[in-house]
Amino acid sequence: MRLVAQLEELLYHFQVRPDDETLRLKGWRIFIHEMKSVALGIKDNSPGSVYTPPTYREGERGEVFLVWADGRLSQAKVQAKPPEVKDPWIEELRGWRQAAYEDPEGGRIVKPAPLPLAAVEDERLEKILAGEDEVLFAQLERFLNEKPDKAKLQAQISAAWGYRHVRTSTGLAVTYQESQYGLSFSFDRLVGGGFAKRRLIEPEEWEDVWQNTLLHYEALQEFGPAPGSKTAVILAPAVAEEMLGQYILPNFSGQNVLERRSAFAKERFEQKEGVFAPEVSLEVDPLRPFEWGSYLVSPEGVPAERTVLVGKGALASPLLTVKDAGRWGASPTALPQGTSGLYLSHTREEDWERALQGVDDGVLVLSVLGLHTQDSVSGDYSLSAPQSLRILNGKFAGRVDVKVNGNFFKDLAHPAVRMAKTQRNVMPYLWVQSGMQSF
Amino acid sequence: MQQNELAILVDAILKKVAHGDGYVIVRAESRRERSLRLSNGRLERVATGGDEGLGVQVFTAQGVSGFASADVLSLETGLRLVERALSLAQRNERLGAKNNREIWKAKPLQAEVKNPARSFGEVPLAELQTRCLALHEGVRKAFPEAVWQSSFRQVEDSWCIGRSDGTRVSFTIPRAVLMHQGTVHQEGKSASTLVHRSGTDAQILGEEQTDHRLERKAAERAELARAVSTAPFLASGHYPLVIDYGLAKGLAHEAFGHAVESDHMQESVLGEQGKLKRGLKVARPSVHIMDGPLPGDWAYQPFSANGLPRETVRIVQNGILEAGLGDIFSAAEAGMAVSGAGRAESYAHVPLPRMSNIRLIVDEAAEFQESGTLMGDVRRMREVLLERGEIKAGEKTLLLLGYRGGQVNPKTGDFVFQCEGIVDLGDEDLRIYRPSIFSGKILSALQAIKLGVGAEAFDAIGTCGKGGQSVPSSGGSSRFIFLEVSDQVSLGGEG
Repeated sequence: MRLVAQLEELLYHFQVRPDDETLRLKGWRIFIHEMKSVALGIKDNSPGSVYTPPTYREGERGEVFLVWADGRLSQAKVQAKPPEVKDPWIEELRGWRQAAYEDPEGGRIVKPAPLPLAAVEDERLEKILAGEDEVLFAQLERFLNEKPDKAKLQAQISAAWGYRHVRTSTGLAVTYQESQYGLSFSFDRLVGGGFAKRRLIEPEEWEDVWQNTLLHYEALQEFGPAPGSKTAVILAPAVAEEMLGQYILPNFSGQNVLERRSAFAKERFEQKEGVFAPEVSLEVDPLRPFEWGSYLVSPEGVPAERTVLVGKGALASPLLTVKDAGRWGASPTALPQGTSGLYLSHTREEDWERALQGVDDGVLVLSVLGLHTQDSVSGDYSLSAPQSLRILNGKFAGRVDVKVNGNFFKDLAHPAVRMAKTQRNVMPYLWVQSGMQSF
Repeated sequence: MQQNELAILVDAILKKVAHGDGYVIVRAESRRERSLRLSNGRLERVATGGDEGLGVQVFTAQGVSGFASADVLSLETGLRLVERALSLAQRNERLGAKNNREIWKAKPLQAEVKNPARSFGEVPLAELQTRCLALHEGVRKAFPEAVWQSSFRQVEDSWCIGRSDGTRVSFTIPRAVLMHQGTVHQEGKSASTLVHRSGTDAQILGEEQTDHRLERKAAERAELARAVSTAPFLASGHYPLVIDYGLAKGLAHEAFGHAVESDHMQESVLGEQGKLKRGLKVARPSVHIMDGPLPGDWAYQPFSANGLPRETVRIVQNGILEAGLGDIFSAAEAGMAVSGAGRAESYAHVPLPRMSNIRLIVDEAAEFQESGTLMGDVRRMREVLLERGEIKAGEKTLLLLGYRGGQVNPKTGDFVFQCEGIVDLGDEDLRIYRPSIFSGKILSALQAIKLGVGAEAFDAIGTCGKGGQSVPSSGGSSRFIFLEVSDQVSLGGEG
């Protein structure tokens, strides 16, 4: 709390009665993240190895955004300073002024607006960070006790708790508590599972993610028959999420659309052009309880609200920051945190267990290598997927090493696009039209 | 905080700590940076800032560790972190964590490497803005059909690492990079390109204003991107390949370097029962791979994050696997020498063995005079390979241009890379294809390396993402590397 209070006092002072007129501020915004976290790990079946020791981390940092009296702008990263430092910020302020730049479209500070309700804090995680961390060590031991005998286990469990502070010269003063919990693990570095929310995992969720990963691991132990030309390609939820990160986020960035660095031009949004199959929708929803990507107010002071990016296959809105919203002539939108908070859906989503039983000839792609190297704008992909599961007559039938090639936008636009979900996953299993070669 | 101030703070913390039978490593880091982003002829963002803090790793007498970090540089914070890390180490010991007392064997070292760059703020921000705007305008004029985004980033990263044995090493790493990213739209299709120029300080802007090297490269790559956007896909298969030195750096880094890091030996395809397969023939006798810091380089680091000298390692000599990249904690177990390979993204991260500048060197090298243009070089390359009888006209030999990144599974030896475009050197008209994944088994790729073409260049830069951290990496090879066809190395496929 100390950092945000120091900065608020400083910036208010230089807005109202600056000691030096060249440092007079017209507006400002502060975003501070105050956080404590603890993480435990297992490397090659060894808990707390020298590379994965129990780790504690604390920090208080963020960013200031300044609009000077002459309309120039400054942005700077800030972090807490030692208490013994006298007048820590005056020299910084002079430095920020030297870094000021002109951007006539970038100087808007939003006005306060009512905040939504969204559950983003789990008190159990606050207790863990206060020292009651036995639950995490117990989870680590459970990993070791229950892993398959021959498997090399890698795992990480982390918990975080803290505050987010947003202050603006327009009168917004928000502080709220938030928490995060994540676990991830893999067997033989070949197949893994994970969980990430703003609350502790529940026992049934643990069981679900563990059993599902075991099932895949066991099925990968034998080689399966090579796929054919009519074999269906299904992306596991983790892969579908990675695809969204690689192809959706950059192409729906308002700045990229406005500056023609996106696959979608502004006019196509204005015309609500159909780009995906009519059954497909895509939205950002920061209000879902305890989801990793949920929040109350953005670092720019924009209250969280649901934003539809693609509705029934048609372009609806890009992702708009305050500046881009001004350029677009619209209101700022919700913003995902990475792919967290981004939700892909189909009007006829199936239950995965039932859908799997109906797959006579398929390949489930559990992971891909090299997705981050693909050209986001074109939508094209050409990926290696050496850990894929053959599906025959509704059952897993061994491991196959395949390469998949296609275009993600065409996959989502294809009339045969299908999605299936489990209760646990917010991201679907996704049927795509990839070309496939096996090796 | 300056480098000498970091050393004073680390000293003060270690003097106040009761070491007992345990062991403490303190890492203090102070990084400052400034960055500019320009788009469509205007400044989009100018940002200043940095990051500084302390990371403390404490070992119990048995060699079990805990780690704590905070983003404040102060004695009080340091002492509190030592207590917290010790408490975690003790809890870790009760969990049955594996002991590791290797750090006790490290030799004490006191050393200091001064910042080799010019003063961080020598070029004022206002001047930086003017220069960057001029360079951004230059690339826009050089290829107006593309949408350009330019950025400049300058970092000064100071470290001090202290240990219970009296070790104090401190150093400052300066880095600067100018980048142009272009997006080309053609017949409803798009493709993009990214080029960069790196150095130690803002002087690279002046150099670029003088020689326009990056601007020319950007325009040529944008032209390639335009051709690529409407080009056909290549049928998947196995082909003779030529890769540029950026891809060669990627190959050496992703496909080989990671597999010889000491913490990977338990599952690496280049390990056997946890030990490096020293003596394994991995390539032709003319092929060598080495890794080590180069002063002024993007990935330069004179000492490891554990306070040991960073050594240059000859990983492969005459085609034989000779050595690995070992940090103090796992080198002995992995059957390799300690080479000070531990690096960390920041004070808040636990160091891991990783590469610095990795070089792929081929003794058998064909002479090659650069033409000054990309496609001119490509044509000369074709002529050189035809003259040497390495390729035949009419038979596909594919040149992969522009490294977009890669990934490897060290356990299985599978690697993938992506490039910006492909040119068929077997075709008189130098037909262009869309990029497709370059993948295969790492040993097969190394064994396929036959020839280097042109002068060596080791300034291909990137960021290594091992362990979820982001650490600068670099490397290179001859200007081009020729790989014979291999049935374990393939190019992607049709969409």
